[in-house]
This record gives sequence, structure tokens and C-alpha cells, in this order.
Amino acid sequence: MHKEEIKGRGSQYDGPALENDGLAAENNGPALEKDSLAPENNGPALEKDGLDPELMEIPQEKFRLVNLDMDESDEKFKGKPIGFLKDAFLRFSRNKVSMAALAGVLLVVFMAFAGPLMTPYGYNDQNPEEANLPPKMPGLEKLGILDGSRWLTSCRKDSLDEFPEGSILEIGTDVEKIRGVEVVSVKVDYYKYTGVEEDTYHYFGTDYLGRDLWTRLWRGTRISLLIGFLSAAANCVIGVLFGSIAGYYGGKVDMVMMRICEVINAIPQIVLVTLFILYFGSGLVSIVCALLVQNWVATATLIRSQFYRYKGREYVLAARSLGVSDRKLIFVHILPNAVGPVITRVMTAIPSAIFTESFLAFLGLGIKPPETSIGMLLADGQKVILTYPTQVLFPAIIISVLMVCFNLMSNGLRDAFDPTLRGA
Amino acid sequence: MAKYILKRIAGIFIVLFVVMTAAFFMMRLMPGGILDGVEENLSADMRDLIYAKYDMDKPIWEQYLLFLKGIVTEWDWGVSLKLYVNVSVWDILAERIPITLYLGFLSLLISVPIGIAFGTLAALKKNGIVDHAVSFLVVLFISIPSFVMATGLQYFVAYKWGWFPLIYDDSLPRITTTFLPVLALSFTPIATITRYLRAELSESLNSDYMLLARTKGLTRVQATLRHALRNSLVPVVNVIVPAFISIMGGSLVVESIFGIPGLGGITVRSINVADYSVTLASLIYYTLISLAAILLVDISYGLIDPRIRMGGRKDA
Amino acid sequence: MGETILKVKDLRVNFRAWAGTVQAVRGVNFELKKGETLAIVGESGSGKSVTTKAILGILPSNARITSGEILYDGKDLTKLKEKDFYSIRGKHISLVFQDPLSALNPIQKVGKQICEALRKNEHMTAAEAKKRAVALMEDVGIPEPETKFSQYPFQFSGGMRQRIVIAIALALNPKILICDEPTTALDVTIQSRILDKIKDLKEEHDLSVIFITHDLGVVATVADRVCVMYAGKIVEYGTVDDIFYEPAHPYTWALLSSMPDLDTREKLFSIPGAPPNMMYPPKGDAFAPRNRYAMEIDFEQEPPFFKVSDTHYAATWLLHPKAPKVELPEVLRHRIQRMKEEREGA
Repeated sequence: MHKEEIKGRGSQYDGPALENDGLAAENNGPALEKDSLAPENNGPALEKDGLDPELMEIPQEKFRLVNLDMDESDEKFKGKPIGFLKDAFLRFSRNKVSMAALAGVLLVVFMAFAGPLMTPYGYNDQNPEEANLPPKMPGLEKLGILDGSRWLTSCRKDSLDEFPEGSILEIGTDVEKIRGVEVVSVKVDYYKYTGVEEDTYHYFGTDYLGRDLWTRLWRGTRISLLIGFLSAAANCVIGVLFGSIAGYYGGKVDMVMMRICEVINAIPQIVLVTLFILYFGSGLVSIVCALLVQNWVATATLIRSQFYRYKGREYVLAARSLGVSDRKLIFVHILPNAVGPVITRVMTAIPSAIFTESFLAFLGLGIKPPETSIGMLLADGQKVILTYPTQVLFPAIIISVLMVCFNLMSNGLRDAFDPTLRGA
Repeated sequence: MAKYILKRIAGIFIVLFVVMTAAFFMMRLMPGGILDGVEENLSADMRDLIYAKYDMDKPIWEQYLLFLKGIVTEWDWGVSLKLYVNVSVWDILAERIPITLYLGFLSLLISVPIGIAFGTLAALKKNGIVDHAVSFLVVLFISIPSFVMATGLQYFVAYKWGWFPLIYDDSLPRITTTFLPVLALSFTPIATITRYLRAELSESLNSDYMLLARTKGLTRVQATLRHALRNSLVPVVNVIVPAFISIMGGSLVVESIFGIPGLGGITVRSINVADYSVTLASLIYYTLISLAAILLVDISYGLIDPRIRMGGRKDA
Repeated sequence: MGETILKVKDLRVNFRAWAGTVQAVRGVNFELKKGETLAIVGESGSGKSVTTKAILGILPSNARITSGEILYDGKDLTKLKEKDFYSIRGKHISLVFQDPLSALNPIQKVGKQICEALRKNEHMTAAEAKKRAVALMEDVGIPEPETKFSQYPFQFSGGMRQRIVIAIALALNPKILICDEPTTALDVTIQSRILDKIKDLKEEHDLSVIFITHDLGVVATVADRVCVMYAGKIVEYGTVDDIFYEPAHPYTWALLSSMPDLDTREKLFSIPGAPPNMMYPPKGDAFAPRNRYAMEIDFEQEPPFFKVSDTHYAATWLLHPKAPKVELPEVLRHRIQRMKEEREGA
């Protein structure tokens, strides 16, 4: 039975047959003749009866073929292609966390340069009379924080009037008797207590030599950042060169180079860095080099794997068969593919360099005084943490902020360059 | 498998040898020499005597061979020249290694389960509040150096609140007195493991084999435990080594912050006073322990992952 | 063909995506009859896999069934809780995956992966499960099943892996087997063997099969009936003969014309343009912008199903009485002619 119907339906196609090419002509005519259509459709009766009457009310002109002049080949892509870097940049800039991290980094960088200019002190101006002052900042002092005050413990109660005038802010209630003498904690305006000149402000206080810690901290930040950027840049250059050569030439060259990498990588970083610094002595250049000894290996491995991925691609083979030189193949045809991972890698290398530097400072292998770095300040502050906690507090805050911001930024960059890794 | 292990062990000996040689020559050839700092107090005779005693009058390569021979035949690592004059380096280290290992392993023992728990939680509740909170903590823990954490803990928890001793105290139970240092050392490995497991697990949770496990009638919990979690724990072994090595590195500084009589403290001190024989030995020791950790993980990785055990390619 | 075993009614599935809601399935209706093989054909992204995942209750967490019913055994599967699905999956409805490599757990022995379902659901002992698993492996055509039982997936070839996946799917004697492009990831020579195996197993195990594919060649070999899907909707369905010899929807025409074969001398037809972005499904017929035979009404109103025959329906305005009569594209007419001849010759 249903075969019949199909036949019927099929005959419709065979009917007044519009040839493919004929269709357009038909369409040019004054619409389709309604009358000639109707009897045709009466054929498979069921079908017409089954139709919703509403559907029958659709006006005839709606059934004009409108797409006949369509090009059968694929459409051209609409819109301008967005470059890879621009696309990544757009994705990065849409990520609020990354942008906040970027702002954080920029702020710290700005302060590293502007900070020392905001005080009248040089980073190495020593003033024993102003040693170990607590932080005091105009504006904030009125809120009761950073007001240059400090609790002095175990002050003889009977000696309180010997304190400089107006220096006592608060007397504690913890009166104790030690060998018959009543002692008490006293909160003093330490600036007045030590007789420092009026209107002296040390925003972050001073260290044991009376050096202004605000100036030193930002100066140290500058050095730490410098170490970070320099070693990241150098690590990137060496890594890219080494990785490119290994990846591009492959075979024995690659094998030997990768074995070297493996050996270097197997040594704990601390050991390598310590040895290096011990031998070459501490100092900026030496530290940057020490950070390089091992860090470039990861970059090199990364670049090498990019090369393995791309060097077999048709476009590279095509370029090679046209006689393009090795150098041009490496730098023009293959390396640009690795731009994303390299940028991300540099961004992670900076905080890890800053971290290692402060680690070395803790080991006593930091840069040479009087120059300073965040790590040096941390190490110095740590020694007096129980008496003057703010000396370690501010460097700790700055290094933490810096590390968090750099890490967030490199996460954001990684996501921006490789959206498939999102959230990983 | 045996071949695989042998190959690994051979690799480790090569690295160890490279480090030992490099370290030895760097130390001996260091400007200032081995008696730097005390030299001026010695008469020329005394100096020659000392040099002769420590074989330092011989050419450097002979010194090295003697050094190696001493270690191999008598387990003789030389003597300390400044910190504990004439005390055998090995005795100094042997006294301190246990507490350092204790710190390291305890910290690892704490970090691994916590990291796994956090990572699993974050992956299962991906993009939820818990996940965001965990991710936030991960960034914080990874970013803040362990010695900053140690300093903070020491000041607030020990000094301000007085919950734990400020510095190492032999008379207290070890667990109490090492609690803060261990904690300080654990933040970074916890964060590393969490981050890694979260990524691995969320990938396995979306994998086809996880779907297959569910279509064969396993419950979601069964499928997650038996397939997704099991499979993503395998590569976590990969981060445990770097985690352990970073703990050992961190303990160098954390030990001296808390005054723990461990290897870290003595290493820092030996560096500061230029007691090179002690520095040399402890650096070799650090290399050895991290190489051993790498070997251990390689072997266990091979045991867990049949693709490696059977000599198949890892990506097959 | 017997009674209806599975019925999907007006199924709609939405995905919450980063940029908005994707309407992956937009009102799908079909029935699976007992003992038949129903093929669902469409390009990637047409919603065919999502439909099967909805049937098995394994939609990803960002997917929602917004309306519709999936009736099986008197139950509406869309209303089922995860807990209740455990007794359906594997035991009643099973799935064979597209890529056997990623579907098998890489670090578990294949035997264990087959046994797992048996032990968890049938509470077999290890020995019983192993016996059954080995039998299953033999069943799906794995040589030396005893030895292979304790091997790992990476030691198998692609075709053998797919057989393992099929064995797992059949382990609990399901009534319905859903094959989601089971041969796409395999070599052509292996493909036909797997297809034959699925056909044999269907008879042996008395299965009803839903076969998802984009390959019309495969459809012709295995299917009894065919649904053609486009942009989350079924646009035409009928018996294999209906679809291959009397296609009525321009999309089916396009699919058939773009199928490569040895006899075609003309340039291979490709469907112009790309499938619509399902975040903003077009008004009217979704295929209209790519359809050479689109009419004004196609852009305004969605076509209902027009009946072509008792078994054959198509959703295209071309079947409306008022529509101009459109000839099949010449290429296709020739091709159908040839196919018919071939069949008669065979």
C-alpha cells in the first residue's frame, strides 16, 4: 500500500519537473499557477486531509523559492580574522582576576620607582638616633594605626614622669611587682619618646641603623623585580635557543641535549644555586646567573615539544622544499607558534626568581649590602621579629602581594593563550 | 620492569657523581680556600700541617680521589673545620638528619591527604563556591614563600597567642615543638597537590571511560572512586617528588627560623661561617635524598601504570 | 516490526554555556520498535549524541532537559533520579562509544572492566564473572579471550578495543543497545567487521539498536529505519528505503548528494555554509539559509511534519500543497537510480 503512495508522491517529482537550471526561470514567472498545483496534490489524498487547515491558509506568495541563486561553494568567512595575540589579549583583558593582578603588579612596579622619591631619605642614610622607629604615616596616624606608637613593657612605674613630655599615650593595667618595684606596660609615642625631631615621618619605620624602611623596601623591591625580570628574560633566551636547536635538528643532537637537561634537572635547585653563589660570590649578576643555571631547562623542554609538534606540518615542509634557510624556518615559521607558552613561562619565571632570591638572602647568600632586596629585608626583619614585628611585616606583605599577583597573572595568561585549559 | 629500574638507578648515580664532583671542585677551588677566615691566626707551619693533614698539599684531582676513597672505604666525609672543629662531618650530619627527615616526611604525610581531599572536593564541585574558595587558597599558598609563612606563624601563633613554643624545645614532645615548622612547610605542597589533582580529576570526570563506567551500571560514586579518582591519583605521584624537594628546600630556612637542630640549620650556618666540608656533605646529602625520592616515584609510577611497566609508551 | 520499546516525545535539551544557552535538542520525537535498528543521522552538533545521553541519563552537569518525555518500560526516564538510573543503565539500555581508546580505562585490565558491571549489578563471584566475561569476549569475536582477559587496553588494536567496549555494553543483557558512531574512529576495513558483529549480536541477544552516525553508508548497511537530524530536530524519518530512494527533505538530499561513491564523476557536492549557532536557533526552518530550495515561508515558520507515506514523514514546506514542485537534484536522481539498480542486481 504505501509503496503506491510513494509512487504517487514520486510522480509529483516527475511531473512538471523543474530542472535544476529551469528553476530560476520558473521563478521569474508571475508566481506559480495555483490551479495547476492543486490537482497534483490531490493524489495522495490522506496527506491533504491530514493537514491542519491553518497551514492551508498560508498565502501562496510565501512559497516562492528565494535561495536559488545561492552559490554552492562555501561561504566566505564573514568578519575580520582576529590575530592570535590579539585574541589572547582580548581574552586576558576580559578576565577580571587577571586584570586585577596586572594592576597589582603595575602598582608595585610603580612604587618600586616612585616610592623612594616620596621620602627625603636615601636608602642607605644611616641615623643611629632614629634606629628601630615604629612606622608613622601622615593621615593614617590619626586613625590610630601607623602612628609611631609602641608598647614598652616593664617600665618602672615610678619612672613614668621621667618620660619626655607628652610621649605617654596610654598606661597599661597589667601592674606587676618585680623585686618590690611596680612595673607596667606603657604605650608611648616612640618618636617623641626618643626625641626625634618634630614632623619626622618614617612610613614603615626604620631599621637598626636608622635607615628608612619605606625607602629601603621600595628600593629592595626594585632590585627583586630587576632580578626577576633579568633572569626570566635570560632564561627565556637561552631556553628558546637551546630548545629550538634540540627540537629542530632532532636525532642525536636532540638526544644529547636532552640528556644534559635531564642531568641538570635532577639536581635540586637549592643545591645548584647555593653552589653557584658560594663559588662566584654573591651579588646581582651572580644571583641572576645562579637563577639561570637550572631555570632555562623547563623553557627549553617546552620549546622543544613545540618544535616537535610543528616541524612536521605541511607548511613547514613546503617552506623547506622552497629552500628556506634553517634559521628562517626556526624563527619565522615555527617559533611564533610557541609565543603563548613562552610568555606564560616568563610570567611564572619572574615570581620564582624573586622567591629564590629571597630564599638565598635567608641563607645569607643575598646581594651585597648596603644594596638591599625584599629577601634581605625579610631576613633582617626576621631576626628582630619579636621586638620589632613591623620590620618583617611590610616586606612580607609586599613579597606576598607580588607573588600572588604574578601567579594569578600567569594563570590568566595560560587561559588566554590556551582556552582549552580553562580552570585547569 | 627490572631493566627500567636499573636504568633509573644508573641515571641517578651519574647525576650524583656529577654533583659530587662539581661540588667538591667548586668548594676546594673557591677563592679564599678552605681555611678562609682562620688563616691569618695560623703560623705558616701550622697551615702546612693542617693542609697536610687534610691532604690539601696534594694536587686537586688527587684530593678528590682521596675524598671519594674515604667515603667509599671508610664512610669518611672529612671533618668540620670551623663549626665543630675536628668533629667528623658524618657524625654532625647523622645527628641532625633524623629530625630533618622527620620534618620532611611529616609534612609530606600531612600534605598528601589534605591536598588530595581539597583537590577532589574542588574537582567534584567545579566552579562552585567550594571550588572557588579552594582555588583562592591554592594561589595564596603557592605564592607565599614558606619562610614568610613560618615567620607569620611564629609571630602570631607562637608569640602572640602562645599556643606553641616559639623555638624548638627538646624537653617538649616532638610533635608539639615541630608543629608550626611542619605546618609552614606544608602549605606549598598542599597547594601544589590540590591544583594538580583538581586538573587531573576534572579531566577524568569528563572522560569517556567515566561515562562508560556509568553506562555499565555503576553508581556515580562507584564510578568516581574506581575509575576517575584512581586514574587521576596516578599522575599525582608526579608532583609528590617536586613537593618533597621543595619541602626539603624550605626546611633549610624554616629550621633556622625555628632553631631546629636539623640539617637545614647546620647547612645555613656552615654556609655563613664557610665551613666547606660540612656544606659540601650536606649539599650532597640533599641531592642524594631528592634523587632517591625521584627513584622511588619512578618505580612506584611504573608499578601503578601498566603502560610503563609493560614497556608500552606512556601516550599509547 | 513489533511493539514500541522506547519512545521519545518532544525532547528538548539546553546547555548552559559560558556565553549563553545552547539549544542542543529542540523537540525530538521518535520511537524505537522492538528488534529494529533505528539509525539517527546528522552532522556533528546536530544533537544526536545529546539525545542518546539524555536517554541514558548521562548528560553533563550543565545540560537540562527542559521538556519532553522518554518512555521506557512504562517509566519516563527524564523524571528518573540518578539513583534509579543505576538499574536501567547497562541492564536495560547500554551504550557503545565512538572512541574505544578513550572509553576504556587505560590502567585497568580489560577483563576487570567487563567483570565490574557483572559483579556490581548481578552480584556474581569473581569466578562466575570471569567465566561470563570470557564468554562475552568470545562472543564479540576476540581470539584467545582467556589470555586477553588480563591484558590492558593499550595492548589491543582499535577494532579489538571496540569489541571490548561492545562486550561491556552487552554484559548485563540489555534490551536496547545505543551505538554512538561506533565505527568512526576505526579503519575502514575494521568498520565493516564491527558492523557485521553488531548485526549478528543484535540477532543473538534479541536487541533493539539505536545507531548514531553521520555516515550514510553505514546507515544503509545496518539500519531498518532512519531519522535524519538537523540543528537539534528530526527533519525526516522513514524506512531505509524511504530515505534512500524517496528522500523528501532538502537536507536529506544534500546529505545523500555529499556522500562520496565510486561511480560519481561530478564534483562532490558539499552543503554550503555551516550549521546554525544553536545559541540563537534561526526562526523557521533551521536549514533554510543553506537550502537552495528555501522558500519565504521557510524563514518565517517552522515546517510541520508532512506525511509522505505511512512510514515516511518529512518536515519541509516543499511538501505543502502550495509549494512549487521541486525536482530532486540531478546528481542525486542519478545516484538513487544507480543504487536501485545495484540492489536489484544484487
